[in-house]
Amino acid sequence: MSYEPRIVLSVEGVHAGYGHVSVVRGIDLRVAEGELVTLIGANGAGKSTLLKTIVGLVSPTAGTIHFLEQDITRMRPDRAVRAGLALVPEGRMLFGPMTVEENLELGAHARDRSDSAEDLKRVFDLFPVLQERRSQTAATLSGGEQQMLAVARALMARPRLLLLDEPSLGLAPKVIKEIFAALDRLKAEGLTILLVEQDARLALKHADRGYVMRTGSIALAGNAADLLADDDVRLIYLGAWHGEGESS
Amino acid sequence: MGRARIDIRTIVPLALLAVLVFGVPLLSADRYLLKVLTFVGVNVIIVTGMALLFGYAGQVSLGHAAFYGIGAYTSAYVVTSLGWPWLAGVAAAIVLTSVGGLLLALPSLRLKGHYLAMATLGFGEIMRVVFVEARGLTGGPDGFSGIPFPSLVGISIDSAGGNYWLIWGVVTVVLAFSANLVRSRVGRAMRALHGSESGALACGIDLTGLKVRVFVISAALAGLAGALYAHVVGFISPSTFSLHVSVLLVAMAVLGGTRSLAGPVLAAILLTTIPFADAVIPGLSRSALETIQEWQEDVYGLTIIAVMIFVPGGLAGALRRISALGRRAG
Repeated sequence: MSYEPRIVLSVEGVHAGYGHVSVVRGIDLRVAEGELVTLIGANGAGKSTLLKTIVGLVSPTAGTIHFLEQDITRMRPDRAVRAGLALVPEGRMLFGPMTVEENLELGAHARDRSDSAEDLKRVFDLFPVLQERRSQTAATLSGGEQQMLAVARALMARPRLLLLDEPSLGLAPKVIKEIFAALDRLKAEGLTILLVEQDARLALKHADRGYVMRTGSIALAGNAADLLADDDVRLIYLGAWHGEGESS
Repeated sequence: MGRARIDIRTIVPLALLAVLVFGVPLLSADRYLLKVLTFVGVNVIIVTGMALLFGYAGQVSLGHAAFYGIGAYTSAYVVTSLGWPWLAGVAAAIVLTSVGGLLLALPSLRLKGHYLAMATLGFGEIMRVVFVEARGLTGGPDGFSGIPFPSLVGISIDSAGGNYWLIWGVVTVVLAFSANLVRSRVGRAMRALHGSESGALACGIDLTGLKVRVFVISAALAGLAGALYAHVVGFISPSTFSLHVSVLLVAMAVLGGTRSLAGPVLAAILLTTIPFADAVIPGLSRSALETIQEWQEDVYGLTIIAVMIFVPGGLAGALRRISALGRRAG
């Protein structure tokens, strides 16, 4: 590449945790415009906490976070969404008693605008099953459909950076394939994505670059293809440990 | 606030309710019945606020009788002792309870569930003591008497029918406002807050701002009800605004069910009428009524337990099932 792509997210020296327990210990991470970057690692490595720190759900104890040149360190979550970050949270956190359409409209809440019809069309095009289920309540959807709804809800905010926390968790292989196909499509359309995944092999297959987290720090970083081929990564994260992580 | 939408589903039931409700004084000249129903209207106003707070935003307050009291004493004091016009008294009650709601909401936002309930309970008890001890303002334990009837453009509304119309007129406005609010963008955010706080955060909903706003609205509605009550009854005392009343208000909201205005309104009508059953059931014997009044708390308790067991989702759940049946039959 002859030009330097714009940095969308820049995390520098971030420490974070809960009370006296430090979970994230000095993380440096960058995501450039149009990239799909994945953050992999075993359970308890601090991946989700880092994601929560970026969107403002957890307050960092040190370090800075910049989003499109704007300092968003310790920014309130609702402001972060307004700034252009949208999180697909672990466990989806849908509004069960509300309809698919209401869930989607809530995704557009932060934009303060009523032109959500166009966005609805876009997400229904991405996940046609949601259109069929639009007046059903979210609680009646299957696990895979719920995950699609969670992704679609985040897209309704028209994010500049989409953050996903374990989108494959607890889903059947066929559904996981569909969701990752949707992520590929979003990336092809130019969306910048930061993906936290426990299924390292799957994540690296779809990503441009990857960071491997271990006990709160970055153990390895590099191109997704190199990481897939890296002996250490294969041994530690794509081998036996991976299977163990799934069961716990 | 989001733009309010006028919706046919709001208009039709409200219009029916209005015709039914406003016809009562034309059909009956029974002053006792009108007074009971006026009191029912006052409770409907407070419970509407509780429905927004508890049923939509998922926040519990055990201190709403205090806002009811602050509204009542404020209007009673500025109108009776300072000679302000009645409408100014109502406005003062709304302003003061809004500010009180804001002051209570800000520290309480760090609390959730039982802890929020405890904080509001503490506030209620503090205010109960203030009502008793601030004799110069409230008349102390003997109460505040001689409060003039409501008056508009210099005309005193002193008949039972007039007061009834006044209160139910306000009830209609409050219900129309609330029905629009819950259908608006803000209302959707309120329901989201009840569903999943972390989901609401992920959607970029300003949780703090939303909770404060709903708390202030519900406090102001209790204050408005208090100001209406004080002038319609003419006498107020601390016992009217005790913890017992706060608990009863929560009971109405719970009995009514969540994500509904109609359910809590029905519950308010039902529970408020129980001790005055003779007003709506002609020929109910004196001794039967006395039994009901003596066992009032137990009747409330049993009603709530029965609803919890046999009507899941409260009265709102029952209403939803009836309307679903109606749709299937039609």
